[in-house]
Amino acid sequence: MGSTFSDPGAADGVFLRLQGLYRAFGYTRYRMGRFEEYDLYAKNRSFITGSSILTFTDTDGRLMALKPDVTLSVIKNTAPSASLQKLYYRESVYRAADAFSGFSEIQQAGLECLGKLDMYSMAEVVTLAAMSLEAISDRYMLDLTHLGLLGGFFEDSGVPEGAREELTRLAGEKNSHEAGALCRALGLSQEAAGVFLELIHLRAPLEDGVRALSALPLGPTAASALSELARLAIALRGVEGLWLDLSLRADPGYYNGVVMHGFIPGVPTAVLSGGRYDGLVRRLGRDAGAMGFAIYLNLLERLMPEPGDFDADLLLLDDGSDPAALLKKVRELTASGLAVRVDCAAPEGMRFRGTARFSGGELIE
Amino acid sequence: MSDMLNIALPKGRLGDKVYALFEKAGFGCPEVLEPGRRLIFEARDAGVRYFFVKPSDVAIYVERGAADVGVAGKDILLEYAPDVYELLDLGLGRCRMCVCGKPDLRDDPRRTLRVATKFSKIARDYYAREGRSVDLIHLNGSIELAPLLGLSDVIVDIVETGTTLRENGLAVLGEVCPISARLIANKVSYKFNYPAVTAFTARVREQCEDAK
Repeated sequence: MGSTFSDPGAADGVFLRLQGLYRAFGYTRYRMGRFEEYDLYAKNRSFITGSSILTFTDTDGRLMALKPDVTLSVIKNTAPSASLQKLYYRESVYRAADAFSGFSEIQQAGLECLGKLDMYSMAEVVTLAAMSLEAISDRYMLDLTHLGLLGGFFEDSGVPEGAREELTRLAGEKNSHEAGALCRALGLSQEAAGVFLELIHLRAPLEDGVRALSALPLGPTAASALSELARLAIALRGVEGLWLDLSLRADPGYYNGVVMHGFIPGVPTAVLSGGRYDGLVRRLGRDAGAMGFAIYLNLLERLMPEPGDFDADLLLLDDGSDPAALLKKVRELTASGLAVRVDCAAPEGMRFRGTARFSGGELIE
Repeated sequence: MSDMLNIALPKGRLGDKVYALFEKAGFGCPEVLEPGRRLIFEARDAGVRYFFVKPSDVAIYVERGAADVGVAGKDILLEYAPDVYELLDLGLGRCRMCVCGKPDLRDDPRRTLRVATKFSKIARDYYAREGRSVDLIHLNGSIELAPLLGLSDVIVDIVETGTTLRENGLAVLGEVCPISARLIANKVSYKFNYPAVTAFTARVREQCEDAK
């Protein structure tokens, strides 16, 4: 089984911009250790994307895990407070996405807002998610949904429990042909099936999407979710790049309410995901609300420019006769803006704009 | 993202049928029909770029964003569960995923059923739904041999006409699911190329409905 460990340098520039953004909104940095007791993840396994966690036995016999996630640690390791806890982080997590791909180090940056969340807090987190994407790419889309829309539809339409997961999966695929057939097989009314297909199809700028949903004959539970989303959309007026799309998926055991995924061109999957996760907080014994998001910095490697034609401007082949003169020369050349590599022989696999020899204190072109 | 819609098609008979459908929908690229070994074809006027890949790889090209849209069999989508949108059932390449075996097989539920298949996930999911304990044997080809040589009790495989089964003394014992070609889209391409992808899908849907 292979493992991948990425170059942390690729994400540094992005994180510096994000850090400035989060500090400007009063968020403070959260730092965590690399390890956590495995028990925390064993109890909350379905919250962790993927199934495999790297474990080891500590010197005192405890089973420990290299952290596969940040959010659980934030909730566990921060004390409840009367005020909101506004935290941002940049951490590496370790997990295997599936049985074949091996463990990976995944660099994440993100933020968490815990406490008594109000509409402002939610709007602020969504705004920061959008601004984070904007800090990465001038083109971005932040998709939002409210899990209560589909969940409410299932409640209001009497969809059997056993069919809800399958219908949610089909919504996630925008698979209206199979969803229509399943609605018929479940005996849903034509009106209810029509509403479900509209929900699957919907993709629109947030406020337009809310208006489109308002025109549908939703039941009381879905309408309540829509009402919360509508108030959020009003609070978010002026924030660009927000879309409503009910195909976003999230575990309803942990997430509730608003869920969001962020996308930028050139990266084929979501680079940002998050939402409201009161369910997870309550599962860990705290009476608080929570909302946050993570940005997968590893994925941003795909945005890096193609490597240039040359690894350095000049290769200086040195015979070792006068190191002091060589260093002086190299400092002069680098000060003039050239990239210089000194070596005793041409390195394999590297390309240089020019090559020169340095011998007897002299540069020989 | 480029201004052309990148479309991954499966090589072979299904790809030919799908291309014919897309051509009727107004996305023709005459070079596709010319003999040769080229793999990429571009029709600037129609705004599409076709490339032909192994059928089982189409979903990977689309999921990873090398193609904006593509056409893959439902068998591939069920087996590999790529994270893509499934926008349309094209109704082409219709066949069935079936449980097959000797016609006189007596399934003893006290014993673990031995199942040979190329489609391990589909078979595992099917028998999990049935609540049946199975010993899955993953094979890469000539699946029909397995029950004949006693390697397995049954096979789970695609059945088109049933000729191969009959010629080997096997029969369909049950249907797992119907299979046909599906139009799939990369989720991010769908969002950033929304007008192009939805217009393409709508025109192909019209052709599918006309063909019914």
